[in-house]
Amino acid sequence: MEAKVQKKHQRKHSGRKAEKKSRKQNEQESDARKRNPRAFAVQSAVRMARTFHRTQDLKTKKHHIPLVDRTPLEPPPIVVVVVGPPKVGKSTLIRCLIKNFTRQKLSDIRGPVTIVSGKKRRITFIESGSDISSMIDLAKVADLALMLIDASFGFEMETFEFLNICQVHGFPRIMGVLTHLDSFKNNKVLSKTKKRLKHRFWTEVYQGAKLFYLSGMVYGEYQTQEVKNLGRFISVMKFRPLVWQTSHPYVLADRMEDLTDPETIRQDPKCDRTVSLYGYLRGTYMKNKSQVHIPGVGDFAVGDLSFLPDPCPLPETLKKRALNEKERLLYAPMAGVGGVVYDKDAVYIDMPGGHVKQQDNAGPTTELVQSLIGTHATLDSKMAASKVSLFSGTAALSQDDVEEDSMQQPTESHVWDPKTHRERRKAVFTGEEEEDDHDDDDDDEEEEEEEEDEEYNEEDENEVEIEKTDPPMKRLKLEQRKEMEETPAFADSDDELEKSEDDEEDEEERGTGNGDSGHCSEDNDDDYGSEEAESGTEDDDNKEISDMEEDVASGTNGQRSKASSGQEEEDEEEEDQSYSTAGSLRWKEGLAEKAAEVFLRQQRAAPNLRKLVYGTVVEEEEEEGEEDEEVGGLFRVSRPEKGKRRRADGLDCSRFEPDDSHDWEQEEMLASIRDCFVTGKWEGNTDAATLLKEDDEIYGDFEDLETGEVHKAPANNDDDDQAEGGSDLDHEDEEEPQVKVDDTEAQKNKRLEKKKRLKERFDAEYDDGDATYFDDLKEEMHKQAELNRAEFEDVDDETRVQYEGFRPGMYVRLEIPSLPCEFVTNFDPHYPIILGGLGGSEGNVGYLQMRLKKHRWHSKILKTRDPLILSLGWRRFQTIPMYHIEDHNGRHRLLKYTPEHMHCGASIWGPITPQGTGFLAVQSVSGTQANFRIAATGVVLDLDKSVTIVKKLKLIGYPCKIFKNTSFVQGMFNSVLEVAKFEGASVRTVSGIKGQIKKALRTPAGAFRATFEDRLLMSDIVFLRSWYPVTVPRLYNPVTSLLLPAGQKDTWTGMRTVGQLKHDLGIRNQPNQDSLYKPVVRQPRKFNKLHIPKELQKALPFKSKPKQTQPKARTPRDLQRPAVIREPHERKVAALLSALSTVYNHKKKASRVKQHTAHKEFLKQKDRAEEEKMRRLKDVKKKMYQLMGQKEKKKQKSSLKGASKD
Amino acid sequence: LCGSRRNNNMASQGLTYDGCNFFRQRLILSTLSGKRVKIRHVRSKDDNPGLRDFEASFIRLLDKVTNGTRIEINQTGTVLFYQPGLLFGGTIEHECNVQRSVGYYLEALIMLAPFMKNPLRALLKGVTNDQKDPSVDLLKATAIPLMKKFGIDGDGLEIKITKRGMAPGGGGEVLFTCPVRRTIRPVQMTEPGKIKRIRGTAYSVRVSPQMANRIVDSARSILNQFIPDIYIYTDHMKGANSGKSPGFGLTLIAETLNGTFLSAEMVSNPQGQGETILPEDLGRKCAKILLEEVYRGGCVDSANQSLALLYMTLGQQDVSKTLLGPLSPYTIEFLRHIRDFFQIMFKIEVKKPNEEEMKGGNKVLMTCVGAGYTNISKTLK
Repeated sequence: MEAKVQKKHQRKHSGRKAEKKSRKQNEQESDARKRNPRAFAVQSAVRMARTFHRTQDLKTKKHHIPLVDRTPLEPPPIVVVVVGPPKVGKSTLIRCLIKNFTRQKLSDIRGPVTIVSGKKRRITFIESGSDISSMIDLAKVADLALMLIDASFGFEMETFEFLNICQVHGFPRIMGVLTHLDSFKNNKVLSKTKKRLKHRFWTEVYQGAKLFYLSGMVYGEYQTQEVKNLGRFISVMKFRPLVWQTSHPYVLADRMEDLTDPETIRQDPKCDRTVSLYGYLRGTYMKNKSQVHIPGVGDFAVGDLSFLPDPCPLPETLKKRALNEKERLLYAPMAGVGGVVYDKDAVYIDMPGGHVKQQDNAGPTTELVQSLIGTHATLDSKMAASKVSLFSGTAALSQDDVEEDSMQQPTESHVWDPKTHRERRKAVFTGEEEEDDHDDDDDDEEEEEEEEDEEYNEEDENEVEIEKTDPPMKRLKLEQRKEMEETPAFADSDDELEKSEDDEEDEEERGTGNGDSGHCSEDNDDDYGSEEAESGTEDDDNKEISDMEEDVASGTNGQRSKASSGQEEEDEEEEDQSYSTAGSLRWKEGLAEKAAEVFLRQQRAAPNLRKLVYGTVVEEEEEEGEEDEEVGGLFRVSRPEKGKRRRADGLDCSRFEPDDSHDWEQEEMLASIRDCFVTGKWEGNTDAATLLKEDDEIYGDFEDLETGEVHKAPANNDDDDQAEGGSDLDHEDEEEPQVKVDDTEAQKNKRLEKKKRLKERFDAEYDDGDATYFDDLKEEMHKQAELNRAEFEDVDDETRVQYEGFRPGMYVRLEIPSLPCEFVTNFDPHYPIILGGLGGSEGNVGYLQMRLKKHRWHSKILKTRDPLILSLGWRRFQTIPMYHIEDHNGRHRLLKYTPEHMHCGASIWGPITPQGTGFLAVQSVSGTQANFRIAATGVVLDLDKSVTIVKKLKLIGYPCKIFKNTSFVQGMFNSVLEVAKFEGASVRTVSGIKGQIKKALRTPAGAFRATFEDRLLMSDIVFLRSWYPVTVPRLYNPVTSLLLPAGQKDTWTGMRTVGQLKHDLGIRNQPNQDSLYKPVVRQPRKFNKLHIPKELQKALPFKSKPKQTQPKARTPRDLQRPAVIREPHERKVAALLSALSTVYNHKKKASRVKQHTAHKEFLKQKDRAEEEKMRRLKDVKKKMYQLMGQKEKKKQKSSLKGASKD
Repeated sequence: LCGSRRNNNMASQGLTYDGCNFFRQRLILSTLSGKRVKIRHVRSKDDNPGLRDFEASFIRLLDKVTNGTRIEINQTGTVLFYQPGLLFGGTIEHECNVQRSVGYYLEALIMLAPFMKNPLRALLKGVTNDQKDPSVDLLKATAIPLMKKFGIDGDGLEIKITKRGMAPGGGGEVLFTCPVRRTIRPVQMTEPGKIKRIRGTAYSVRVSPQMANRIVDSARSILNQFIPDIYIYTDHMKGANSGKSPGFGLTLIAETLNGTFLSAEMVSNPQGQGETILPEDLGRKCAKILLEEVYRGGCVDSANQSLALLYMTLGQQDVSKTLLGPLSPYTIEFLRHIRDFFQIMFKIEVKKPNEEEMKGGNKVLMTCVGAGYTNISKTLK
């Protein structure tokens, strides 16, 4: 069959059909709302309102309280903590990740390892041990926790403990990592296990928490691709700000140096050490001289805080996609990696010693170091030839510069670091020749040293005495600083700026300044002091500040006196003459320079004022020196009171006395403040006149409809343009002469602009868009953040640090004096060293009220007064909590034990910590326990210096004499005085009779009279319920686990509980005798006879009357009848009579029975008859009723018929 | 074990000062920062060494508003050791020593009050107006609006003068109530604005009520050349409310468009001390002092400089800016103390007015980053 060829469809392009089709298509394309308006019509207003509410609810639910964004521009590296039980693969994972990011191998992970992971991110990895102290400390500083879980085993307690710690101390991001997955042979079991673990993990963290699977090992490492993925996840992760971390500065130390003078150590090996710790500052701004807490050591004041160049900087240019090899930095000084290490006053160049040496692919930094070492001999010449900028951010140095500053070339000395067990090569600047020689020796012995480190320890200890040689530029700075300290604050106040501007001048000036610095410092001080003293008491000039500056300046040297005394008005200058006659004479000559100087001085005014306020550090030290002068140890040298002394005891008054020199009668004085009033002249943009003009422009053209007048805006082009802006004007002026069309064009443009402005104004007034309160708040916060950023942006770091403190992200060095020597001698880099900054009064101790709940997994309840180790804020400490619960009337009643499944209050003596801070409690931090270690969790509720816990106390007494409702009670108190204290107190008996204490009795001592609502019995017990305030024991015992010898750091034990003590010492309690079990002996009960009063007896019915139960008394003999003895005949008669009577009785009985039955029969018959009779009667009646009924019916019928007939 | 000896080492080291000048500043900042302070050589070279009665009274007041404060004073009163406790607040009543006016005590309370545990309600009795210290009227008119700028507002903030007592007898009564705040808002007060009106109070006790009117007239005569919107209230207190000594005085307040309050005040000489002053002279002098204050300018008047700086210091960790007039010696010392206690330094910039503008003398722009202070004693609900 031939297939039909079908004609192809031809679409119409014109005509009706095409139109119809296009119309239809258009309709479809158009808005569904337009096409089908009914579907979108309001069906129900209620429903609509509900949906609206719902969407609004959902919207507002997403809101968080807006906070000012205080994150620094260059944030510190994020802290990634790797946690997990032992042997789960933590170190392996860190090693793999480091290798992934930096292509370097790190065999031994000790301390934090910082790497640059990307263009904008750095990461610090740190491994957590499985001891609870490390876990607690690291949970507080972690941004991300990688929780390693051995899948072949399942979850272990450490995992849950860590999760719980995190929950309490703010939840950092948590990522689970399953390892040991290769131990599963069966695929199905594997997937099931994965699923099970995943879901369990989700319930602990949150639904959908990320769980990573590391499937297997290849040559002892995880698979590269999986590690890469994990690394990517880490480097793009976002973090939530945690309250504690963002409100406290903290440093996770990655380097530690002992700065103690070796001589003092030699004299006393146990002396307190000065230690400098290094690390990135995180959290928030840290101030110098602030307090820090080192968990595991204690609280310390920071001796000195300074920032160092970033050892692990981010790449400078951000154009590339990936980092090059040079930028993939690795910094881990504790693990022996880090290349050149800078210090404030020295440079350390790290040798890749020991195990690190075995690696071939050492990083580029290490290469540099090695090349430096290799070319040791020619270093001098090389240095001379080249300009080397050794330190980032400083100018390049040539050999000449170095020599000029009398600097030495760096050579090396080997330092065996006994703490980290590695060899270090230190760049030593050859100050002493002996040292140099020594160094050379060391070089030769370099290889041997590793084996024979023991021997060299002594020698090396000498070398640890670091010659304080400085890097060239640093030193220069130091010198300057020193100088500034030596010379009084005011003396060189002027040349502060010049110094930075001009070096040569600086040099000269310094020369002259140093010459007379000692002299003028005193002068200045005195002047300054007396000035202030006067200002406090007498009327003083208001230009005091500037005057002070002037005195200072004129005192020092002529040059400066000229500069400073320039612009003062005449009256003030007269005053000055009293202070500095010589200077004032000279300035009069140089009147020509005056004007120029005025300007200069204005420029310098700011630093001067700052110096005036803050530059008085030297004073106190001088004073100290004075006071020590004693004569013969008894008498003190008395000196005439100086100005300063008077100032010290001056009048404490905040009033600022007005300046007498201003004469407010004079016209010019009055004129000088004319513009401060609304009546004065206004600034251009706020002046009423200009504003009016502007308004005219906009509103000016109008037509008066009534009169038909047309008002035009003033057509003065110049004025208009001035208001709008000068640029427009120029533009227009140029164009005007050209073409007339342009003119109209310009006018049109102007009109458009006017309209736009008008509209803007209208919008601003009426229609604030969707701006809600929330948006406004957010906007405000945003503005503040901008301001914060902008304010100190262009200030150099040195000064910036003074104003706002050290900002997070800086690499800082904290010098801490007087650390216990154990910290250094027992240093173990495997345990984290955290320096947690303390806020305002967080360094103080006080009472804390907390809400506490025993952890549901902890097996025992907790006992009041048993010591407990708390982790609160940065701290871990042992304390003695008192548990209590609040009664309905607000009373805090002491509890002996924590409730099982309930919150209770706990009061402790401990460090003041802000309210709302979470804490957790453990019973011991030593060793590993089989069960869950976290005993309780809770939150700080309130801080108070006093506590109000009370304990119920019942005082017991016994009545000794009972009157009607009054009784005498004894045994409750011991003396009259005690009773007097409780007069009026309410008492109660066990049976519930209430009463009141009235007055003490004289005897027996302690007895009292009390009244009751009813009469007591002698057997009653009277008790007085009272509340006795309990004091919280003042035990605050920081856990000093870091001070313990290496290897024993997790064996810290503090105060033991009474139970533990007794257990350890083998003491058994003598039990209370009453509490012992004894055989039960029950006495048979005896009841007294019931006695009924006679009257009552009489009234009782006979039934209830007591019966005469007792046998009758024996009848008396006279009433007793004699026994009758019968005669034989009589006996016979009696026998006969009895026989007869027996017969008769029998007869009677028989006849009675017979009669009885007969009567029964008779009754039956009678009944039957009766029944019969009744039935008959019934029948008759029935018949009769029937008849009657019929009759009635008939009657009715007939009557009806009759009626109808009618 | 070596470490055990510093088991209870809390690092809060103290500060030591010499002499009793700026006594209040030291104790206030110590209380707020929690740092203990030791003041030695208090008038040790004086014929009458040791603390004066008014200082002792001040310490007692601090003890009343705090909880757990430890104060040790040696036998002669030349050494004071002060370990601050927790600011507790609540209702207190204090008999202020008549050597200094209530303003002396009130200034300190204003600084402390927002950071207490409970809202403060303090009844202070003593001299309300004297020549040494800022009077209660002045604080009421200037410190309260300043506090409002820092977010300390609400219905609880009030200074009420129930009785007026002049030096030397005293007998005045002031009620100060203040709500508590957890944090203080950062401020940007860089534009003082133009003065729109001048208000004032002329008070007189135990003298002729006509005195107040005479003061008003004389003060107006000077101020009228600048601005017409002047109203000076006359406040004559009688009977039980008039204290124990006669006297009169004037407080003037200039209010700007931006809500800055500049103040001046003048009080008659205390009874029996110095020569009597005419009310006309007093009014004129006081008006001139106000002009002087306007000349100094700034967003905070000279008596409250330290208060503003303290609130800036105790703010959030944000930048605060305030334009001040020339710094008073008291303020300069206060800045030093702030650095001692809070490690906060202010950026101090001198602002010269333009040549053509006639707005008084040099101004100082103070900038600082707050200490991030939070009132930890306030109970969270």
